[in-house]
Amino acid sequence: MSGRASSWASEAAAVFVKDWRCELRTRYALNTLGLFALTTLIVVSFVLGPVGAVPELAVTVLPVVLWLIVLFAVTAGLPRVFVAEEETHTATALRLAATPSALFCGKLLYGLTVVVALEALITPLFAVLVKMPVARPGLLAAALLAGGYSLAAGSTLVAAMVAQARTKSALFAVLLLPVLVPGLLFAVQLTRIAVSGEVPGQELRMLLLYDGTLTVAGFMLFPFVWNP
Amino acid sequence: MKTLLSWLLWLWIGLVIVAGYALVPPLAGFVGGGESSRILFFHVPMAWTSFVAFLAAGIWSALYLGRKTRQRRHDLAAAAAVEIGLVFCLLATLSGAWWAWVEWGGARWELSAFWNWDPRQLSITAALIYYAAYLALRSQVADAEVRGRIAGAYAVLGLFVAPFLFFVAPRMATFSLHPEPVINPEGDVQMDPSVLWLLLAGSLGFTVLFFWLHNLATRLAILEDRNEVEA
Repeated sequence: MSGRASSWASEAAAVFVKDWRCELRTRYALNTLGLFALTTLIVVSFVLGPVGAVPELAVTVLPVVLWLIVLFAVTAGLPRVFVAEEETHTATALRLAATPSALFCGKLLYGLTVVVALEALITPLFAVLVKMPVARPGLLAAALLAGGYSLAAGSTLVAAMVAQARTKSALFAVLLLPVLVPGLLFAVQLTRIAVSGEVPGQELRMLLLYDGTLTVAGFMLFPFVWNP
Repeated sequence: MKTLLSWLLWLWIGLVIVAGYALVPPLAGFVGGGESSRILFFHVPMAWTSFVAFLAAGIWSALYLGRKTRQRRHDLAAAAAVEIGLVFCLLATLSGAWWAWVEWGGARWELSAFWNWDPRQLSITAALIYYAAYLALRSQVADAEVRGRIAGAYAVLGLFVAPFLFFVAPRMATFSLHPEPVINPEGDVQMDPSVLWLLLAGSLGFTVLFFWLHNLATRLAILEDRNEVEA
């Protein structure tokens, strides 16, 4: 039993390592997600200026803008995790080599690390460029981590779906956004609390609950999406 | 027998409509001496029926995904349920916007009079988009087997997402136009018994109407599918 569990874990780890090796060679995620987010960030900073100096605007506007930047960067870059496998015809080999759930786990971890790296790059810059005050840095980090997880979990499953459809990137955004609506609502509210310094309520628990739900749904449904 | 049942259904829905105007007293606290509350007997059953339709689509999709129960007609039934459910969902959204226009918008001819930033307006719109995306996904996969699997997984995923949209997210909001007596955290029903009975009767009528329409649509889809396979 332990042997089977360790081979499952090593399969998941192999997928994760393979995806990061591809990424380091092609720098695809860096070029799409990273540059997309940076460009948007610069435009936002040009248009809004140091808007965070006005406390009301900082609380109502900035958390939404931050999450929109992350969301659109994710929709631009993350379908690649499965689309590339179909385009380079490596999907069949992957189907033979890895257990679907281990594959999903590896891809999910890759997506999560990409999203978290993106957030770690973007958020400090964002905070400086629009003068976003952060009353509770720990809560902000929790919001970014838990919200980023729901983005990664949702987009990994949806990317596997669109990889087998005719149009890919346009369909990816259409399918992904309604899946992410609840998670984004909680993440924005949590970020809002982190900015304003209010006492947090149920938001973090709700966001974690949604993360858990997406994880269960992903592990349950992915084998059906993946295996012919 | 089938014609008799469909006539009974029409009679039932007709009686609900008449009772909505004749039997139930106008509710206090609504515009027009309470007359505007009568839209309740159509708006609530339509929203309920769309919920039933999406739930049914999820169940048929799960049947299609199951190895032992994989049959084309389950997939076609799920697609038909989403299509009809979207009609009910759209009607519930429109009737809700119309009601909001009369009730809270002061019947002004402005777009903002139709939209009240109510969390339930947001969640039903998100549900509309979700299942419209389901149909978009179906149209983009050529192979019937792949289409059934992927769209089926998306419909089952809807069963996980929908409770958050309908039950959790609206609770987070600080205000709602939707009356607490009907939708409150304690789950009690605090309204006139005649209103409650009529709402239940309306919901039953609309639910049966849905399954009747769905039965016709699925049979049609199966025939079309067979035609395509033979051609």
